[in-house]
Amino acid sequence: MTPPQPHDAEQARTEQAAGTEEPPATDEPPATEEPAPADGPSLAEVMAEIDEEVRRRRREIPARLERELDAMFLEYSPMGSRYGDLGAALRMLDAAVFIDPVVPVASERPAGAVVKKGLRAASLWYMGYVTHQVSKFATAVSRTLHLVDNQLQEIHRALPPPLPAPVVAPGDATSWWVAPALDALVGAGGRVLHAACGDGWLVRALRERGADAYGVDPRGEILDTAAFEGADLREDPVLDHLRSVARGALGGLCLSGVVEGLAPAARAELLSLLGSRLSAGPAVLVVHSMSLSAWLADDAPVEADLALGRPLRPSTWRHLLTGWSVEVYDAPSGADYLLVARR
Amino acid sequence: MRVAFVTPRYGTQIMGGAESAARMLAEHLVAECGADVEVFTTTALDHVTWQGVLDPGDSELHGVRVHRFTPTSGRDTAFYELDTRLRLGPRHATREEGDRWVDLNGPVIPALVDAVCDSGADVVAFYPYLYYPTVRAITKVPIPAVLHPAAHDEPALYFPVFRQTYERADALCYHTVAERSLVQRVHHVADRPQIVLGLGVSPDAGTGRPGGEILGIGDRPYVVSVGRVDDHKGSTMLAAFFRAYKARHPGPLALALVGPVVSRIPPHPDVVVAGPLDEADKWDVVGGALASVSPSALESFSLVVLEAWARSVPVLVNATCGPTREHAERSGGGLWFESFAEFDAVLDRLVADRALRRALGTRGRAYLDAHYQWPVLIRRYARFLDDVVARGRRRAPALAMSG
Repeated sequence: MTPPQPHDAEQARTEQAAGTEEPPATDEPPATEEPAPADGPSLAEVMAEIDEEVRRRRREIPARLERELDAMFLEYSPMGSRYGDLGAALRMLDAAVFIDPVVPVASERPAGAVVKKGLRAASLWYMGYVTHQVSKFATAVSRTLHLVDNQLQEIHRALPPPLPAPVVAPGDATSWWVAPALDALVGAGGRVLHAACGDGWLVRALRERGADAYGVDPRGEILDTAAFEGADLREDPVLDHLRSVARGALGGLCLSGVVEGLAPAARAELLSLLGSRLSAGPAVLVVHSMSLSAWLADDAPVEADLALGRPLRPSTWRHLLTGWSVEVYDAPSGADYLLVARR
Repeated sequence: MRVAFVTPRYGTQIMGGAESAARMLAEHLVAECGADVEVFTTTALDHVTWQGVLDPGDSELHGVRVHRFTPTSGRDTAFYELDTRLRLGPRHATREEGDRWVDLNGPVIPALVDAVCDSGADVVAFYPYLYYPTVRAITKVPIPAVLHPAAHDEPALYFPVFRQTYERADALCYHTVAERSLVQRVHHVADRPQIVLGLGVSPDAGTGRPGGEILGIGDRPYVVSVGRVDDHKGSTMLAAFFRAYKARHPGPLALALVGPVVSRIPPHPDVVVAGPLDEADKWDVVGGALASVSPSALESFSLVVLEAWARSVPVLVNATCGPTREHAERSGGGLWFESFAEFDAVLDRLVADRALRRALGTRGRAYLDAHYQWPVLIRRYARFLDDVVARGRRRAPALAMSG
């Protein structure tokens, strides 16, 4: 798809003017209308073209008009958009940085506009002096914050890329470790979370055994069909999900294919969340993980090379879970292990 | 299964919003699942004054039993001063300030709370989170409670008083993934059973009358915006954007604003404020539009976007509105704007590029057909309610505070 050429828009406007652009509405269902093209440009393509066009048009639109209109837009924009990230907040600041001393004089009362205009003319020098100081201050603040933003972006560029943590070898219903995992989790009091749950195979097995289980998985394409089968399965990155879980809300947690690929900072946060989101009373933690030797082997999955982290050894888990009762089951092949911890 | 809905307004007079969504769910549960559904609501129609205008007592509407109660007070004038103050730092409002905000906002109606608690229903659905009936009843009902937040990114969502409202819900039902993400960012309820459901679109009631004829603009091309004509819904901003657009791009293109008029729109020869239309005319006006614009940043679902796609009309949405942006991105059926320069470029592109309009409209229609057909939706909802009933009411002492 190519960007709209000026003559295209001109032609469309000419068509509109001639009243030939679009046929009038009919009550026929869409299927009987003129066939739509089988495919069109992707939204990303269209919005990229539009971004390009926006940059060009910004040079044409009078700055004052654009500022006024953008301020109208921001007035009713949502809280998160206004304060959610620095870029959005800076855009809002930039839109509001100029304090206009020329107050509007329109009035619905007779002669009101004349009176207002007179007052404005009489006070414009004073208003201009004050607003100039305020605008200068706001401009200085804006420039300072833009410098901070630039430096933050520099720091971000120096950090490893924020790759989504891969789900590595999460297992399935036939895996060797499923039976001991089910035995441990069915007895957990309270809700049991399986992350990453795939198509929900473990959640369904737990529910069949009477556990109150649900699952999350960052791989949405796997969940699309499962969601309609009645299980509580959601597309959600594991860390994002755990951050939104109430303290002590989970009776059991199964992590399969999750921990290995996490970057060190994310893994540290996960370990912290495990402590706070699992019940302070009896709780069960089940971790299925590749072994370190399998992670480093030539035939390791490609995620092992691409991931920023690596598996923890069972002895490390034992150290982290001091005070818990920990059992470790090694796979017959030595490629992976299951850890069951009870509190 | 006996299902009770709690919603502050109810009836065919209510256009759009959470209350209409509650009525749709209630009526479809009766019609398609044979559920026994009753609604606990007020005698009010106005969401600002909460003045009782309908008869209190019991009645039936489309198979749903309706119990109406007269509010003991509506929105108090002291509300505005408190609201203005709390909006400056919503997370820092005290519990007492939040309680006072809820009472002053209205509708205060203790009898409704008592009636729901004594209803004997199997499950109670609260819709939306924001008002007294939900806030006060959800902590008291002895039966499993499903909260339909209908939340958008507004200061009140951050008031700590609503933490208890969310935490006392046994399950949650969201309109969109964006709504779920927003709620879970503010309140720690991700472990609660939940569903992202949405709403279905009513059958197309159009009669084939040309939209331009209904609007009185003949065969001029137009874009349409359906919904309450209100500053808070972005209507004034849209009209201003459109006037500026037309100053840069003269031509016959018009903007039609369809819906109840709350805010005054300055007169302009290219802006038609049509006011509310009947269903048939509304569908025909939407069907004849080059595009449907949803300028509101505060939507939790937006049926009007889906109604445009039902006629294969592309949409243009406010980029800062999570749910409508989600619809547009997931479907590929719409574009978005978050500044005048973007609006200018996007509208110009939509007007000029007929093939793009057709592609967007077709994708939107496919998305609607795949996800928002009532029979599929209501079966999912009924199964979800069955599961909530089976789980039972969570015991209050088991509640954990958000961290």
